[in-house]
Amino acid sequence: MRRATIPALVVVAGLLLLVDYLVVNASLGELAGIVVDAAILVSAGAALAAVAALAVRRAGDLWRRRGDPVGAVLVLAGMAAVLLAGLRPGASGASDPAVLWILNALLVPLGASLFGLLFVSTLLAFQRSISARSREAIVMALAAVAILVLLLPVGGTAGGWLDGAAAWALAVPIGGVFRGLLLGIAILGAVVAARTMLGIGAGDE
Amino acid sequence: MPSPADLVGEVLGFVSEVLSASSLRFEVGPTLVVLGILLVLLQLVARPVTRWTSGDAGGLGAIGRAMALAAEAGTDAVVSIGAAGIARSTDALARLQTLAAMPVLDHVARAAARSGVPLRVLTNDPLAGVVAEVTIDAAHRRTSTEERVGRSRVVMVGEGRGVAAGLPLTARARPAAAIAIGSLREEAQLHLAGLRGTAGSLTAGTAEASQAGTVLLASPDGLVGPEPFQVAADLGAVVEERTAVTAANRLIAMAVLVAILVSVLALLDVVDLVPFLLGTSGG
Repeated sequence: MRRATIPALVVVAGLLLLVDYLVVNASLGELAGIVVDAAILVSAGAALAAVAALAVRRAGDLWRRRGDPVGAVLVLAGMAAVLLAGLRPGASGASDPAVLWILNALLVPLGASLFGLLFVSTLLAFQRSISARSREAIVMALAAVAILVLLLPVGGTAGGWLDGAAAWALAVPIGGVFRGLLLGIAILGAVVAARTMLGIGAGDE
Repeated sequence: MPSPADLVGEVLGFVSEVLSASSLRFEVGPTLVVLGILLVLLQLVARPVTRWTSGDAGGLGAIGRAMALAAEAGTDAVVSIGAAGIARSTDALARLQTLAAMPVLDHVARAAARSGVPLRVLTNDPLAGVVAEVTIDAAHRRTSTEERVGRSRVVMVGEGRGVAAGLPLTARARPAAAIAIGSLREEAQLHLAGLRGTAGSLTAGTAEASQAGTVLLASPDGLVGPEPFQVAADLGAVVEERTAVTAANRLIAMAVLVAILVSVLALLDVVDLVPFLLGTSGG
């Protein structure tokens, strides 16, 4: 019963949204709106439930002295700080200055420092892949070196030639590869979307 | 009492009333184009097995061996379904990749269930976590290993792409295999570096065009561009179909090679084999 009901719901909702995309009809639009709103409500409910489950789980970890106590305290303190800042009397919710301060002064620098590792980790990945004689990595490294040379800040005729070559590389080979990738992604993405909306899974093939 | 004819008349009247109250959102031409594209898509959907290419995309055909190694070593396996989730605030293509990762998760979960290997699924979206749990449950049901389902778990790594990048870098567990398929953007390099650093093997895939290089650096068999969407069809194909496609591809390649070779020989005035190949040399 469960196997039949869920795919039926998916098919009905998917077809409704597809028809609403093509046909202008007030009743149909309202129905599609209800379906979309219901999906948003389910998502919001799931998110709230997940947050509550996370808090209960971490509090349980602390209570039963299991897992990582420092991590549990940080998670609970972080949740309490944001809730307090956003829900205290007179606060303006997610746009409250206190909430924005927590985001801008704590979360953004933490994220930035983490992403600062990208440069090092990319170089390490290149080194590891080239050591393993990966053809893809060697080609990518050669292309990266070529682009770096083209982007050298050189003046004069040579600089103009390098600049033109860099613009050509960006517009023609790199642009062509990117467009090809994006076309392929779009086509197969549409197929996957159609399969999802019609509830067709691997088991149905 | 109304007759069946009255009922049919009422239904037809209702339908015609609905139709007369509706109008096309686009002109007739664009609507036909959209419907035509939908027809082509549905034709692909109806039989979504890859027709022109066949192969072991991402090395996922060998996942059984990785699970056997995991079972022998007593470790687990990790599946990361990307950092876009299903309900997170990001674009539709990124969220679609999370859905495309589910058949792969199903494939890995079935192999893990058969081998008795616990599975850890990393996600940063609660709704994607629920879908992943249902997928794992279904895999255990299909392999009649429901007693093992409690050993696998879905790990909610936290909100944002930053935590998706940071968690694998700090993990102490050493899984036998890691599979990361889904939307990975600027965090891709860190996420995959973390998984690769601890796992015995890594298969990575993302449909983000800008991260194709990162995926290839992390895993030589990586799935780039449209491949993460294509892999579900390859996994669904039975062995005979894949073998037939491979054989047909080789025959086509040989025919093209022969055609090119014969053309070059004819152009160079070495020997003209065209009449012989066309069977007209006798006439």
